[in-house]
Amino acid sequence: MGEEIRLAILGCGAITAIGHLPAAAAHPGVRVLWLIDSDLARARSLARQFHLDCQVASDYKPVLPQVDALINALPNHLHAPVNLEALNAGVHVLCEKPLSTASADARACCELAEKKDVLLAVGMNRRFSAGQRLLPIALREGSLGDLLGYDWSYGGVFDWQSASGFYFSRAQAGGGALIDFAVHLLDSLIDWFGPVAHFDYQDDDWGSGIEANAILELQHSGEHGPVKGRVRVSRTYPLSNRLLIQGSKATAEIKSDDPDSVIIQRQAGQDKLSETLRLPDFPPTTTFYKQLDNFVESLHGRQKLISDGWQAVRVIELIEQCYAHRRRIPEPWSEYPLSEVALETEGARR
Amino acid sequence: MTWHDQTVFVTGATGFIGGRICERLVLAGTGQVRALVHSPHKAARIARLPIELVRGSLLDRESLRSALGSAKIVIHCGLGNARGIVRGTENLLTVAADAGVERFIHMSTAAVYGLTPPPGSETEDAPVRATGDNYCDNKGRAERVVARFGRQGMGTVILRPSIVYGPYSAWSTRLVHNLRQNIVALIDGGRGACNTVYVDNLIDAIFLAAANEAAAGGTFFVTDGEAITWGEFIQAHVAMLGRTDALPEISRTQVLAHYKQRPGLLRGSVTATAQALRSRQFRQLLMQIPLTQRVLSGAWDWLESLREDQREWVRSRLGVRRPATIEQAATPIPDEVDFATQTGSVFFRIDKARKILGYEPRVPFRQGTALVEQWMRHANYI
Repeated sequence: MGEEIRLAILGCGAITAIGHLPAAAAHPGVRVLWLIDSDLARARSLARQFHLDCQVASDYKPVLPQVDALINALPNHLHAPVNLEALNAGVHVLCEKPLSTASADARACCELAEKKDVLLAVGMNRRFSAGQRLLPIALREGSLGDLLGYDWSYGGVFDWQSASGFYFSRAQAGGGALIDFAVHLLDSLIDWFGPVAHFDYQDDDWGSGIEANAILELQHSGEHGPVKGRVRVSRTYPLSNRLLIQGSKATAEIKSDDPDSVIIQRQAGQDKLSETLRLPDFPPTTTFYKQLDNFVESLHGRQKLISDGWQAVRVIELIEQCYAHRRRIPEPWSEYPLSEVALETEGARR
Repeated sequence: MTWHDQTVFVTGATGFIGGRICERLVLAGTGQVRALVHSPHKAARIARLPIELVRGSLLDRESLRSALGSAKIVIHCGLGNARGIVRGTENLLTVAADAGVERFIHMSTAAVYGLTPPPGSETEDAPVRATGDNYCDNKGRAERVVARFGRQGMGTVILRPSIVYGPYSAWSTRLVHNLRQNIVALIDGGRGACNTVYVDNLIDAIFLAAANEAAAGGTFFVTDGEAITWGEFIQAHVAMLGRTDALPEISRTQVLAHYKQRPGLLRGSVTATAQALRSRQFRQLLMQIPLTQRVLSGAWDWLESLREDQREWVRSRLGVRRPATIEQAATPIPDEVDFATQTGSVFFRIDKARKILGYEPRVPFRQGTALVEQWMRHANYI
């Protein structure tokens, strides 16, 4: 493998157009050789848009021997099978989240990557914001005191302009807001506070398997002791979009609209003090660029992967457990007693 | 076998009313529901349901043909743009007629009589005349298309709700937002006729229209059957926010006098453009367009070349004074649509729906607003 990584990007949907491709086109350490998509016109259009001198194809198999690495941004149900093929061919993989819709398949990907001695990174781009670098520092330094709990909500009216619309198919997406949105939050929380020892999970799936809202109560057991918290994600409601961690000495807050800072607040006598932590030398590149950079530098052995397959397995195992033990979010405004039978009888009598 | 055993096709399914129709069809155990989805990203609410989401557009007959499938009952709530209201309805009716659809329920609106319905339009037999409002007139045209297909033998039913409220309704979310911004005033004490219909009451009427043979060919107003005023509707939302302060009031005369003072089309447009340009985000977007970038840069350079007093004169002529000198209106002025909507005096009668459909509103206003409040708390609006 030369200094310049020969890269293929599989899947030319929205996440490639706004995240992976701008990062890859700008990164001096990679050369995009192939864009793969079943819609060749879309692949060509993206190549033109980013002034890439690359080839397009609808089948990734013949491309594998020609590249060092690939970004797998296909619909969720294709993550694991394509990863396995690529890893087996000795190709390093940066897979968009979730690594798989089933933990067994995710684990198989990790084991194969180890066996073949190739890298398997998972696209948890939010890990690369400055806020997520700063928070563990604040926790290590004991700025918050004893951790009392956290509350993380993320959501708004869904507006993801997917090219394929796969996310509303259970078979292709593997779930709804939990596997799509909360996967990021759970990934970070498990990284900070350790594995989840206890959980309670509710969602608003009415039978399709594609929940729009999910609420989790979690308890971790990690280096900070038993930490409890609540996670709420939504594709329909404008939530507060912030993480708030409550400590005995102070609170820490990361807002979704400013993910590169952590706001620490504490009481000093009668006064409330607030300080905003930032990384002054943090590069202004996107999280997708930083994620790709970490992947490239790891390929050259100069860095360690920030988000690897095994961490993703732990998250997917939790998600599987949540789906297996789900309870319905009560919706009294939807389910209050409306006797359809009485209505039918009433109508038919006239 | 009831109509619930058949396949039901719903348009406008990603909207507020259509979404609730899909939920109610599921709750009622309807055999198969096919929901037309034009913009998949808007489908998060109905994607939760065990129904079939089918891609298509009201403006594309072929897509409608495959989306409709073998459905024999159509509930048409889809809108689209102004063209879509009429042409989309005609396309759907044409495809439905070819497919042998037995019942076509068309979601019209009481606004076919205008945003301020004239006295005399209390019952469905009042003639529908042009109102000058695009939406109202297009909905009126769409009704005529539906009636034509009805005369040709399709079992069509036209429903005319007015202010449909309930969970997910923009009437409530927008009102709460505006109340928080303190930009809501009661016009003439809020005595305008609101003609509310709680979304589940409307859906009761839809289901009755599907079940009832005698409904075919009919047109029906659907309301809660209570004479709720705009003042009551707005105050119910004030209460949801836990507020007890009195809302500002403004008279029709004051609003009309304010509208009269407004600048003409050209000057009004220049002023509004200048005000919009004060938004940094908007300027950044405009600067991405080479032509506007050149024009704006030139305009700024020119403005910067002026003395401060000259600059202030230009700003004042454009109605863009420095924030400190902006005169705050003591009472918020409603826009034309809100004004027209909230100053009607007509309460629509639902005697016909009661008699022929067997419709009786089951959710009274007090309970409806309580359900909205519950939902808004859960959905983080209040």
